[in-house]
Amino acid sequence: LDLDYFNPKEYIIGGTTLTGTHFIDKDVIITLSKLIKGERIILPGEATANAIKTLWAQGLFDDVQLDIAKIVEDTVYFDIEVVERPRLSSFEISGVSKSQKTDIMEKLNEKSGKSIINDNLYNSTTATIKKFLLGKGYFFTTVEYKTKPDPSLENGMILEVHVDKGRKVKVHEINFTGNKEFSSAKLRKFLKKTKQQAFYKVFGSGKFNKEKYDEDKVTLVAKMQDRGYRDAVILKDSIYQYNDKSIGIDIDVYEGPKYYFGDITWAGNAKYTTKMLEMALGIEKGEVFSEEKLEKKLRGSANGDDVSSIYLNDGYLTFNVDPVQTRIHGDTVDVEMRIYEGPQYTNNRITLKGNTITNDRVVLREIRTKPGEKFSKELLIRTVREIGQLGNFDESKTVPTPKPNPADGTVDIEYAVEEKPSDQIELSGGFGGGNIIGTLGLTFNNFSLKNIFNLDAYKPLPKGDGQKLSLRGQTNGKYYQSYSFSFSEPWLGGKKPISFGVSAFTSLQSNGLKPGNSNFQKIRLNGVTVSLGRRLNFPDNYFQLTHAINVQQYILNNYPGYLFNTGTSYNLNLTQELSRDSRNHQIFPTEGSYFKFTIQATPPYSLINGLNYATASDKQRYKFTEYHKWKFESQWFQRLAGKFVVMAQAQFGFLGTYNSAVGQSAFERFKLGGDGMQGFDFLQGSEVIKMRGYANNAVIPQGSDANIAQNSGSPIFTKYVMELRYPVIASQQATAFIVAFAEGGNTWNKFADFNPFNVRRTAGIGARIFLPIFGMLGIDYGHAFDKIPNIADGGKQNFTFSIAQQLGGF
Amino acid sequence: CKSQFEKIRLSNDVAKKYQEAMKLYNKKNYSKALILFEDLSQKYRGRAEAEELNYYYALTLYKLRDYTTARYQFKSFADSYPTSKYAEECRYMSAYCYYLDSPRPSLDQENTYKAIDALQLFINFYPKSERAVEAAKYIGILRTKLEDKAYANAKMYYEIGGNGGEASNYRAAVIALKNAQIDYPDIKYAEEMDLLMIKSQYAFAKNSIEDRQEDRYNEAITYANEFVEAHPESKLLKEVNGLKKDSESGIESAKRFIAERLANYEKYKSQLTKEAKRDSTATNTIKTPNR
Repeated sequence: LDLDYFNPKEYIIGGTTLTGTHFIDKDVIITLSKLIKGERIILPGEATANAIKTLWAQGLFDDVQLDIAKIVEDTVYFDIEVVERPRLSSFEISGVSKSQKTDIMEKLNEKSGKSIINDNLYNSTTATIKKFLLGKGYFFTTVEYKTKPDPSLENGMILEVHVDKGRKVKVHEINFTGNKEFSSAKLRKFLKKTKQQAFYKVFGSGKFNKEKYDEDKVTLVAKMQDRGYRDAVILKDSIYQYNDKSIGIDIDVYEGPKYYFGDITWAGNAKYTTKMLEMALGIEKGEVFSEEKLEKKLRGSANGDDVSSIYLNDGYLTFNVDPVQTRIHGDTVDVEMRIYEGPQYTNNRITLKGNTITNDRVVLREIRTKPGEKFSKELLIRTVREIGQLGNFDESKTVPTPKPNPADGTVDIEYAVEEKPSDQIELSGGFGGGNIIGTLGLTFNNFSLKNIFNLDAYKPLPKGDGQKLSLRGQTNGKYYQSYSFSFSEPWLGGKKPISFGVSAFTSLQSNGLKPGNSNFQKIRLNGVTVSLGRRLNFPDNYFQLTHAINVQQYILNNYPGYLFNTGTSYNLNLTQELSRDSRNHQIFPTEGSYFKFTIQATPPYSLINGLNYATASDKQRYKFTEYHKWKFESQWFQRLAGKFVVMAQAQFGFLGTYNSAVGQSAFERFKLGGDGMQGFDFLQGSEVIKMRGYANNAVIPQGSDANIAQNSGSPIFTKYVMELRYPVIASQQATAFIVAFAEGGNTWNKFADFNPFNVRRTAGIGARIFLPIFGMLGIDYGHAFDKIPNIADGGKQNFTFSIAQQLGGF
Repeated sequence: CKSQFEKIRLSNDVAKKYQEAMKLYNKKNYSKALILFEDLSQKYRGRAEAEELNYYYALTLYKLRDYTTARYQFKSFADSYPTSKYAEECRYMSAYCYYLDSPRPSLDQENTYKAIDALQLFINFYPKSERAVEAAKYIGILRTKLEDKAYANAKMYYEIGGNGGEASNYRAAVIALKNAQIDYPDIKYAEEMDLLMIKSQYAFAKNSIEDRQEDRYNEAITYANEFVEAHPESKLLKEVNGLKKDSESGIESAKRFIAERLANYEKYKSQLTKEAKRDSTATNTIKTPNR
């Protein structure tokens, strides 16, 4: 029976028969094939192909064949023949550990319940398991199968997989031949993930992984070539069994001669002169030839001073440079840089994708690549970083895609983002001083105030305007209560990049007696802060200037330990803060710096109110607190070799008086030492500065009364930190790193005594983990080198913990 | 002791399970019905009851407001049983679920685009269906959403304006407004957008350096003229003419500024020449300024 493929003809289906089924309802299969009696069909045509496809897609058959049984005039009869196989209902795996089983099941799971049991299933399952175990160092895996019927599924079979892992193999030795310039030890070092086993390597030593070994071979050659041996290759490598649990590797390399750069010439550059490009390239004639270095200088340098960046930051989006090795004479390679400049592109449509919670505006207003401006790679990268700093998106998944339209020289840029959970919750209960103390803190980092009365927006809270709302309460009943609230909006009114913040708190501490009782003691604190901040464009646009007004009220009622026992004191101050932040990441910066200069001052009441402070009562003296306070902090981050990052930090604080008759303010002093957690110290408004290795508030001025100095704090402090950091986990769920630190810091009572080099020193190690919902958690072990006199243990304390420092809000 | 539901869920009596699932569905206990439907849809593969089952499975998901899964189930139903009596309804529901998943204009509109495509596909499939009228209505609503977004995002550049004295936001506004009109030629905000374009261009010119102002003001005047032509009856004409007049006087003052600067420069140059004459050793050379 021949069908003419050039003349498809319409037929009526006279009937379809099905053979080969055992369990499945025939009529259903025929219906699914859509070759139903009475329907019209074009032959040859798509309908028959679709029928086979549909039946295959059921995943019930090992084979499907469709034949035309006969054609009578314009009626066609079909015959479908299928091979029905048992259906795979689930896997049962034995012979591997529980965690390996889970991992294997995860890889196999998409098959269970959807496949049939045939050779293909056996083969793919064996391959999956073998590949998985190879990655774990098992070289000699065998897999066997058995089936048993599944009573819960008609024609269903459970596949029993028995795995024999064999022994895990390790690399006993790696031998090199053919190397003259490179020592074998050096070459072994180039194999990053394949190492010889050795007794001193405790973690994962010598485990063999074929995939990683193949990657290593590529790196090995690249590293040799990078050192001038551009002809280097691996001639031959072999893996042999050393004994029943380890293997050996032989690698035969060819090094070839060492090459040097010859003449470097430029072709095709019109916008920039050859001289400028040579400067950007920075490779001199006679240097050791390295393609990696060439590539880096042409395209890939991290700080954007490569040749491509010059063009890409000036609109030349389709710029390309091709280094062609024009002549090799002796050990010298001449290179010609063939440049294609292309048109200068202007940004056109700037769009955002993936914002399922945050409103367009919140992100778009931060984007620096604006319509109408020349395309710039630098601004593109900075925008990605700043979108990350909003805190609502997964930084690693923010992807900008420029789409050039060569016809009109414009480029559309799409920023794809992925929302991440940014809300934090703090819920804790503790037992202290014979009382249960409970804390509830909530921080919403993407709040929408304008929708607070719009019930539809509650999903579960009105979100998407990039505002921050924090609420926190802490209480243990009648002894201690504290409530705080803060709200901030990064763009005041949504139109100007002026941040606005307002926060308030109230807290109460008492001895728990009734207010009428003559022994009743109480202190209440109330405070409100309003702040405005704006980004500056001068000296550069990383600067920010913030102004704030704080009002605090202290109401004391027979409360001991202060300068007065009963009365009310006010602290009204104005704060100015200038900061510059160019850190490239919020949680684990690897580059950039941060500095902050703050001045806080109260009005100089004593110069106005005509009070004689020598004779005035405490109530009068302390009614209005007066001081001026200066603070400076700087942080600097730099990536060292590999993933290591070094952080240098310096801090300085000074609390001054307007009038010596008034004396040093009792509030707002600095307390140095310990974990840096505020705890109950906020009652005095003092600032707690962490210094690992010492106990809380232990670093007091030399020669001062330990008890007083520890309780009140000191007016002058300075602290320096050097920290070496190494990231352990970097994922969306968590960021963790370990640190080694050295710190030096001290406090002074008078400016005359101040000596920035006379510090108490500590050193130690620690670990930090950042979990989006909890904030930063940290533990440190520090050793203090200098004893603090008159304090127990010399003020030393080895372990410090810091918890959720992002919260708190006081 | 297991509940009645748990017993049925764990039993192998599929017929009874099916009955129970339908009973739960009719009682509007959708979350429990879903558990049984999910289980049954695997076991009923290749059997006659599968059609009805999958239909109710999809409906259950819809009732539970899981529109993402529901639309997938509706679509796969329509693809598997194109001749079924539920096929049209399922195609419609699949598109309608996209519609329900379309977020507010200020968020990513991927689902809005997909909803428009799906609804349009439905109309093409069943042009005479009653549901096609509904579908067309929803397409209209979705288009308006996209227009709202384009307008709001273009307007934003004007609103954040010349922060820090930079004019670039105004230029961005002009470009974004033009693009929005290219993308949505019959956008309902055409009049407001045309006015905003003049305003933005005017602000852009005003915040530019004097040497660039003439060209940029002239562009604002061009936009104003185009506005008058496009919307001769507009209530906004008064404002447009005001902006045009301001642009004209802007050009005047920019010209005056440049002329004054040139005059000052000439004065300075002649003074230097005079001094040069007095002191014959002086060799001052002066370049004319770039215009």
